Amino acid sequence: MLGFLVGEALRDLRRAGRVAVSAVVLITLSLAALGGFWLVSSNLGHAVAKWRDRVRIVVYLKREPPGGDVAALLERVRVMPGVAGVVFIGKADALRALKQVLGKDAGVVDQLPVNPLPASLEVTPSAAAVTPEGARELLARLAVLPEADDVAGSADWVERFSHWQRLLTTIGLGVGFVLAAASILTVTTATTLILHARRHETEIMRLVGASEWTIRLPVLLQGMMQGLAGAILALGALVVTHSVVAPRLEPLVSLTLGLSQLVFFTPVGVVALLGAGTLLGGLGGWLARAAREP
Amino acid sequence: MIELHRVSKVYSVGPVKVPALREVSFRIGKGEFVVLTGASGAGKTTLLRLLYRDDLPSEGDVEVLGYGLVQMRRSQVAAFRRSIGVVFQDAKLLPVRTVYENVAFVLRVLGTPRRDITARAFDALRAVGLSARAQAYPAQLSQGEAQRAALARAIVRRPPLLLADEPTGNLDEAMAGEIVDVLKDIGAGGTTIVLATHQARLAVALRRRTLTLEGGRIVKDEG
Repeated sequence: MLGFLVGEALRDLRRAGRVAVSAVVLITLSLAALGGFWLVSSNLGHAVAKWRDRVRIVVYLKREPPGGDVAALLERVRVMPGVAGVVFIGKADALRALKQVLGKDAGVVDQLPVNPLPASLEVTPSAAAVTPEGARELLARLAVLPEADDVAGSADWVERFSHWQRLLTTIGLGVGFVLAAASILTVTTATTLILHARRHETEIMRLVGASEWTIRLPVLLQGMMQGLAGAILALGALVVTHSVVAPRLEPLVSLTLGLSQLVFFTPVGVVALLGAGTLLGGLGGWLARAAREP
Repeated sequence: MIELHRVSKVYSVGPVKVPALREVSFRIGKGEFVVLTGASGAGKTTLLRLLYRDDLPSEGDVEVLGYGLVQMRRSQVAAFRRSIGVVFQDAKLLPVRTVYENVAFVLRVLGTPRRDITARAFDALRAVGLSARAQAYPAQLSQGEAQRAALARAIVRRPPLLLADEPTGNLDEAMAGEIVDVLKDIGAGGTTIVLATHQARLAVALRRRTLTLEGGRIVKDEG
């Protein structure tokens, strides 16, 4: 029975001809746009997550505490709300780090009469504190430490980046929604034409006592087939685009965003895209069906 | 099998009421071959439409195959129609399907197992003498052949009741004779048949029970 219903749906698609092709093309465009924005947004999301992990707040100390006091200071900071971890960097450690940064010019440091670098605490904020608000509160808490001379660091720039990522996602959803609505209307138009071409079959089916599902299902199936075909084409286009563009962009994004590679959809994402296409087509078919019912 | 009790049907055309049937009552028993005759507009098609529940009467009761059609819910109509075969003056064959596919289509939409479809479709085509034309398309058939194909489609489910609305209306006398012979054969197998025709000579030649309609009333029930 299912084979018959699918066969009827395919026959209907052939009948719809160019209108069905336009519907498939529109679904392809809408899902390719939606999928494209989704990919860009998810890669930016990875970058934001990575950067959030790298956010550090540095507490410069007035003077290097004696060895015995360091552990107590670290413990006081560790128990503060919004602190995930803390590391003590002594004056000598800071100087070593500076030499490493300077590389072949590290000899300049040896000319200094005294080590000018202060001892410091490198604080890793917890996930909740990597927001502008959370970071400000943590900065205020750290600033009142009696040992603190100055506190540096902020999560504002990560939040700004995150804001742009959300904006991009919203634009993607908006563009996808408009194109999806257009695709549904095109599938509805194609299905209405199909229903007209199919009126004799429908009449005979009703006359011989076919169930409503048997009458409706081919129409719904052809809509779903258009949607699935559009989704497969969109996915194909995204795969090709990703495989061509990603290797060329990766050096740049590695340098700017710190991402070693541009990710593609997960298997769940692929299924979701195919499912969205099938749903769009099915909805178009169903709307046409509902509009034609007496 | 069929029982109508004081059935009336009035169509509303704007403010104008047009009566199509007036207080029609009759009974048709199992296995009967009944001819429904009358001039065009006498109410034959309206009456047949009430019998396969394509329409409802304005008044009165219609019972077919034990189903009370007036009280029947929409969801029950499909199950009821599976027990009825219907043929029309225009054969209503699907033009893009062969004769065999037209007949098999009915079985397929009703979920008949695939292995049974071919045998049953060819049984029906043989019964109407059309098995040799199974692969022809409707456009390649004569009007008589098209009507026989429609008959094969109507009887392929072996329904206990066959309703035929002017099946010979478009045919010449020889072709009409062929259709009538097929209908007689089907009737001989125990199927109840109601044949609507405006051709008085055909009704006489059939020598079966004849209900004559005039102005929406049964004016004669003879034979």
